[in-house]
This record gives sequence, C-alpha cells and structure tokens, in this order.
Amino acid sequence: MKILGRGIGTRRQMSCHQVGEVLQTYLDDELDERSVRKVAAHLEDCRRCGLEREVYDALKTSLRRGPEDVADGPVARLREFGERLARGELDPEELDAP
Amino acid sequence: MEPTTTTPSLTPDAAFARYVLPEVEVLYRVARSITGHDADAEDLVQETMLRAFRSIERFDGRHPRAWLLTIMRNAQINRFRRKRPGLLNDPDEAADRALSMADERPGPEQVAMDARFDAVVEEAYQELPERFREVVDLVDLAGLSYAEAAEVLEVPQGTVMSRLHRGRKRLREALRAAGIERGGIA
Repeated sequence: MKILGRGIGTRRQMSCHQVGEVLQTYLDDELDERSVRKVAAHLEDCRRCGLEREVYDALKTSLRRGPEDVADGPVARLREFGERLARGELDPEELDAP
Repeated sequence: MEPTTTTPSLTPDAAFARYVLPEVEVLYRVARSITGHDADAEDLVQETMLRAFRSIERFDGRHPRAWLLTIMRNAQINRFRRKRPGLLNDPDEAADRALSMADERPGPEQVAMDARFDAVVEEAYQELPERFREVVDLVDLAGLSYAEAAEVLEVPQGTVMSRLHRGRKRLREALRAAGIERGGIA
C-alpha cells in the first residue's frame, strides 16, 4: 500500500520523522488542517508515534498543572485587591510600585 | 463577543473588572513560575494589576491575557533591574541568575503514578534556560497561542515555536533518561 501511495502527492502518508517534526505543533492546535489530517492518520496506525504523542500530551498536562496546586490565599487576596481597585476603593497613586 | 477596537461603552472600572479580574489566577501561576517565590509572585501580580488599571483606557479589549502578560513581563524586567542594576548589560546572565535564585523546593505532592512524572518534568523545567521557560509558561501554563506568545515576547512566531519545541524536547529527554513513559515507568 505504501508503494502505491508514493507519487500520489497530497495523499502520501507522512513518515515517522515527518510526524516527529510537527507533533508538538499538532498537539498545540497550531497545524494547518491538511497536515492535521495526515498526522492524525499516521497516529492511528503507528504505535511508536502514538506513544510519543501520549508522552507529549502528558508533558503538556503536567506543565499546565504547574509545580503544585495554587494556594487559595494569594489568589483570593489578589482578586479582592483587583475588585477594590475596580470599585474605586483604592487610590492607585497611593499604591505606586516601589 | 470581544470588541475589535476600543471599548467606549465600558467605563475604565468596568473594563478592568471584565478583562483583568478573570485572569488573576493565570497571572499568579505565571508570576510564581517567573519569580520562584509565592510572596514575590503576589507582589508582581499586584503591580501588574496596578499598571493595567492605569492603562486600561488604552487597551482595545483584544487578547487580555496576552496584554496582561506583556505588562507583567515588563514589570518583572524593571523589578529585576532595580534589584540587580550591575547585570543590565548582560540580559542572559541576568536571566540565568534569576533562574538560579528560583525556588529550589523539591517536587510537588502528586497522586501515585503521576508524582514521579511531574517531579522529573519540574526538575527539568527548572533547568531550562530562561528563554525556553518563558515560552513554556506562556503557551502551556497561560494557554496563549504561538502568535500571542510572540506578541508578548516581541519575537517572531518562528522563534516562539523553536524555543518552545526545543524546551519541551529537553523535558521529554529528561523523562526518557529517568525511564518514564506516559506518566508511568517504562
């Protein structure tokens, strides 16, 4: 089948190397639509690239989660600070940064 | 719907509440990553909000997160220069010093199998050069697109992609070196 696929141009399948080159862009939803279809088709069939995709997926999830859960205290204090600013209860000039 | 030009219908206070307040947690997460210290992160976000409040009337309402992260990045650069004026001429060295001053606490408490994965990622992330880390922060932590991150960092989009992909690749190599695949042990 792969031999038949050669020369078909846009329908030609991507190699593992080609997928590796664009895998992160694909996972970031920044790849063009045609390439997305090719990568998805490759990932359906290729176990090795599928595993690589899982690792990068987990990596992105880990990075998104951050080093630890964000404590409620600082975020709540900052929200309150912002709300008071928005309500005009704080004078930004008096709070000038150091 | 986000407006495409200015937002004359909103008062500055209302615009601040609409565009800034929903981003507080993301700002704090990125600030904590940049500073490496909870207290410094809180100060940095507070300063960012003050700067945003002062310039909200000039903000066009598009991409508030990217706008706020730009403000925060500039605020952090200024803060760092105030603390380390002698390093002004060597931003890379300054960034490296900032990195070395970052929090060195051990990995987070995580549930069973994910714990080691996250610990390896965190350790490798802390070792990334600052120019890689800041792109990872903007795209993975703050959820910006490549184009938005390029705008914040004032670099071409290709540079964002290159730094991001190389940065993540280093993390991936760290996982491989630790014998970890797919959140578990290979």
